[in-house]
Order: sequence, then C-alpha cells, then structure tokens
Amino acid sequence: MASREAVRKSLQQVRPILSVDHNEARRRVLNLYRAWYRQIPYVVMDYDIPKNIEQCRAKLREQFLKNKNVTDIRVSDMLVIKGQMELKETVEIWKQKGHIMRYWKESEEPKPTDFLSKFIAGQN
Amino acid sequence: MALFLKTLSASLRNGLCNGNGAVRTSPMISKMLSTEATTTEEKRPTVRKPNAATRSALTDFGRYVAECLPKYVQKVQLTSGDELEVLICPEGVVPVMQFLKDHHNSQFANLTDIAGMDVPSRKYRFEIIYNILSLRYNSRIRVKTYTDELTPIDSCFEVFKAANWYEREIWDMYGVFFANHPDLRRILTDYGFEGHPQRRDFPLSGYVELRYDDEKKRVVCEPLELAQEFRKFDLSAPWEQFPNFKYANPATEHIDTSKPEEKK
Repeated sequence: MASREAVRKSLQQVRPILSVDHNEARRRVLNLYRAWYRQIPYVVMDYDIPKNIEQCRAKLREQFLKNKNVTDIRVSDMLVIKGQMELKETVEIWKQKGHIMRYWKESEEPKPTDFLSKFIAGQN
Repeated sequence: MALFLKTLSASLRNGLCNGNGAVRTSPMISKMLSTEATTTEEKRPTVRKPNAATRSALTDFGRYVAECLPKYVQKVQLTSGDELEVLICPEGVVPVMQFLKDHHNSQFANLTDIAGMDVPSRKYRFEIIYNILSLRYNSRIRVKTYTDELTPIDSCFEVFKAANWYEREIWDMYGVFFANHPDLRRILTDYGFEGHPQRRDFPLSGYVELRYDDEKKRVVCEPLELAQEFRKFDLSAPWEQFPNFKYANPATEHIDTSKPEEKK
C-alpha cells in the first residue's frame, strides 16, 4: 500500500498535448499514416522525383517505423503534429524536389562500421 | 474576468505614469503602498538611473496585479531598477493577458514581442517572455511563464492578434507547442529542417549542411562533420572577473505581495 502511494506521488500530472490515452494516440498515428499513404500518388505526380509510388510508400513505412518504440503519449503526439505539418508542406508544394528527396539521403556516405573500413577512413 | 474588473476597478485607481513621467496615483493609495527606496543611489554618469516615480508606480501596479490574480501570479519582481516583471504559471497566460489588456488601470493593448529562453538545467527549461506596452499610461511590463519540451502553452492569439507570428517563431526556434494557435507552422527555418535551433543543446554549426549537387541537379543535404582537436576548457579563473560589479545592485528585486495583516 505504501509503495503504491509512493508510485502515485512520483507520477506527475501533466497536461496532454492532444490525446488523453494510448488508444487515441495510436489512432492519431494511424490517421496520419493513412493521410500520407493516400497523398503519395499525388506527391509523385506533382514533384519531379525519380521515385515511384512503391518506393515512396516503403520510405513512408520506414519513417514511421523509426519511432515504433515511442511509448510516451505526449512524445507521439508531438511527432504526429510535426508529421502533419510536414504533410501540409508537401501537399501545398511549399517544399521543392530537393526537400522531398532528402528522405532518401542518396548523397550520404554510410559511416564505417567494421574495424578495417574505420581504419581506412582514419577513425577510431 | 468581468467580476475582477467590476469589483476592483473601483478599489484602486493608481494607474501608471503618464507621458510626462508624472504619476497618476491617488494620495491615499500612495501612502498605503508606496515603496521605500531600498537600493543605493546610482552616481556613475554612464549608468542609466532608474526613474524613482516609475519605479514606485510599477511596484504598486505589480502588487495590484498580484492581488487581483492570486491564482496565476507567482512572483512580481523589478529588474534593472524600474522594469516590472510578472511571473505567472503556464495555465494563466490567457486570463492574465486578457486582464492586463482590458483592465482600465493597465490597458496594455500592444504585444510588442514574445521572447523565449532556454535553461536546460531547470525542470521547466523554457521561459516564455511577453513584452507588452500600454500606450495609455506609457508603460511597458514583462510577463514571464515557463514550460518544458512537451507541455503545451495556451496561445494568446485570441487576446493579441500580434501573437500569431511571434508564437510561430517560438515554436520554430524552441519547439514549444502552443495550444489553440490558428496557424502553427515553421516561420524561419527551411522546409525539411529538423530540430529547433535556439535550444541550448543545438550545436552552433547545426547537424546538416546543404550544397548544390551538379550531377543530381538539386540541393542535397548531408550530415555535417567538423573535425577538431580535443579541447579541455578550464573555465574557473583564480582572479575575480568583474570587480566593478561586485557591489552592483541586484539584477532582480522581489516585490513583496503578501497582504499586510488586518488590525483588529
């Protein structure tokens, strides 16, 4: 009983951003995913990017799965808000080709991971 | 809010100073609340002297605000001699701003600026500072509140229309979310930019760099790496660094807002 009291005291009452429980937060994420998914054909049509719809959808899935371990409702809400803003920027064509292609990181060289390539790159 | 205005506008008509720097204070009130000069007189010619009349008027006004809004005002203080700061809790942004805008004795109808401040060591690391101006009484005060990365603050757009872009700027630079903002989106950074550049933990050089790629015929974005030698900073100096400021007036002075005990 005492331990339960202690847990209750250590928990902090916080103000929610959008959702009040996990179910609602999850639904917001799925709605955002669905909105992006449906927008992708138009994005491919509007922007002159060398990608097709399947590649874009795979990228969309990858971007969402990046945050699959987020459990805090407020963190996921904040991510949903940012994703929503990004979707709007894409839909309104405020972004340009380069901004869309930034998701693929084509010009980035992957960092060396094993010993020999690190040695050659001069890292330790 | 209307109740506040009705019950209290009659009780105090102190107001603030007018254009000439003279003070509009009823004699009884000034006798009751005027502050005694606590700091030493500034004699150096290059240092601005705080106006004593403004100072006492603002002190009284600060006390009045704290008395009117005891639920929201946590502290009232003066900085650099004669600048009033009202420190409020984050829930009270809209009611306090509405009060300061519409109350007959304040009429702070202009929102000059909203500033942000980041102190990562605090529990609530961001401070949001509203600078407001009363043209009627020729007076400026500051309203300060606090938040962290995930706690939303109420947008004061419905009180001051000017808050629209200022709050977008705070959102963009610090990542403080404003609830009920009509059009919250980035304003200074480029589309696709990640992070909030005014946070203290955002590096000066940023995380990415952009360049034009001639093969791809577009701007590409790459992670930035600036190699530098390991440096160890020893920031504690054995000598005193600012001896001239050893006996300077304190940066902020707390205004006591507790009510005097009633005589029986």
